[in-house]
Amino acid sequence: MIEFTAPHEDEYRIARLRERLAADDVAELGVQVEQRGTSVLLTGTVPTASRRDEILRLAREELAGLTVRADLVVACADAPDRWEELP
Amino acid sequence: MTRPPTTPDTPGRPLTTTPDGAGPAHDPAPGPDPTSETARSDGHGTVVRVAAVGDIHLGPDCAGVLRPAFAGLPDRADLLLLAGDLTRHGTVEEARVVAEEVADAGVPVVAVLGNHDYHSGEEAAVTQVLTDAGITVLEGDAVVLPVAGHKVGVAGVKGFCGGFVGRSAGEFGEPEMKAFVRTTRLSAERLALALGDLSAAGCAVRIALTHFAPVPDTLAGEPLEIHPFLGSYLLAEAIDGAGADLAVHGHAHLGTEHGMTAGGVRVRNVAQPVIGRAFALYRLPVAGDGTASVPEAVRTAAPAHAPGGELISGAVRRS
Ligand SMILES: [Fe+2]
Ligand SMILES: [Fe+2]
Repeated sequence: MIEFTAPHEDEYRIARLRERLAADDVAELGVQVEQRGTSVLLTGTVPTASRRDEILRLAREELAGLTVRADLVVACADAPDRWEELP
Repeated sequence: MTRPPTTPDTPGRPLTTTPDGAGPAHDPAPGPDPTSETARSDGHGTVVRVAAVGDIHLGPDCAGVLRPAFAGLPDRADLLLLAGDLTRHGTVEEARVVAEEVADAGVPVVAVLGNHDYHSGEEAAVTQVLTDAGITVLEGDAVVLPVAGHKVGVAGVKGFCGGFVGRSAGEFGEPEMKAFVRTTRLSAERLALALGDLSAAGCAVRIALTHFAPVPDTLAGEPLEIHPFLGSYLLAEAIDGAGADLAVHGHAHLGTEHGMTAGGVRVRNVAQPVIGRAFALYRLPVAGDGTASVPEAVRTAAPAHAPGGELISGAVRRS
């Protein structure tokens, strides 16, 4: 059964997710969590696909009952194809 | 002015004072004037190729991710700068992953730690693991590397936060607030001294390496509300006061790459999410290229993945 929460409670749950993302278990400061209408959007860059999955799992757990959308990018680990001249 | 004794006192590493042993010669060399054509090379002279990345946030799950890109460094760069947040939680286990990633870099690697690397309270052990792997970890000191017969200097501190001009915390009020701002101020002072050492050592190129940002320019994209936690103008003031050719930092994952201090020193945010590559590459002309103003090379060649430079430390400089 889904319990419907008041909007202000959602706000605290989102704040708690942000804190969990920054804390011990994930330590991911580069992920933004935004409320978009009735859903929550996660954006940012993470080092690996497994780290992305971990964040999504955590978000769905913390925000059960809310729609979680994610647009998380896995960082490119390729060498650069250009350099910048600093004259 | 005192600096806490945080000398990475590795046995066998040559610790040197400034060439004349005169100690802290502190002429505040002005930063390069970006508008002055006379201070420029036309690009045909010697350049120093600097690779830099921060915020790689490695853990055991990332082992091997950056290794292929780093292995190609000798063809592309003369040195690699790591701008802190090398680990997720600052554990020894994660530091070992970092050490493995750069093991085949084949160029001198110079690092500062970031806030994440302090999280577990194991920063000394983390530093040791990195140092054992041949990485020069700076905190209030500087290293001079020989590049094509020229001296390239890197001065590094983690730095700290507090905000930027007009919107910054002051060393006032509760002890907690004073301690917070004092941490940043002392860090900036140590950076200024270390940069001064590079000038005194006759470096042709001087780079300031921090984790926290010296300017707000490179934070564009970060929420304004958190700017005070991302850096401090005191770092920029130190960089402008002591002089540098480039300032490199990380920490601001949502920021942008390019910025400049009020004194005209170029600032680059190399947080990996910002640069979107394994590392960024910058080419700096060697100042006074071809003139006799640069002393003879301090070393013939840098061994693979070893610092290959002289470490200038505050403790030694004071003695
Ligand atoms: Fe970071
Ligand atoms: Fe950081």
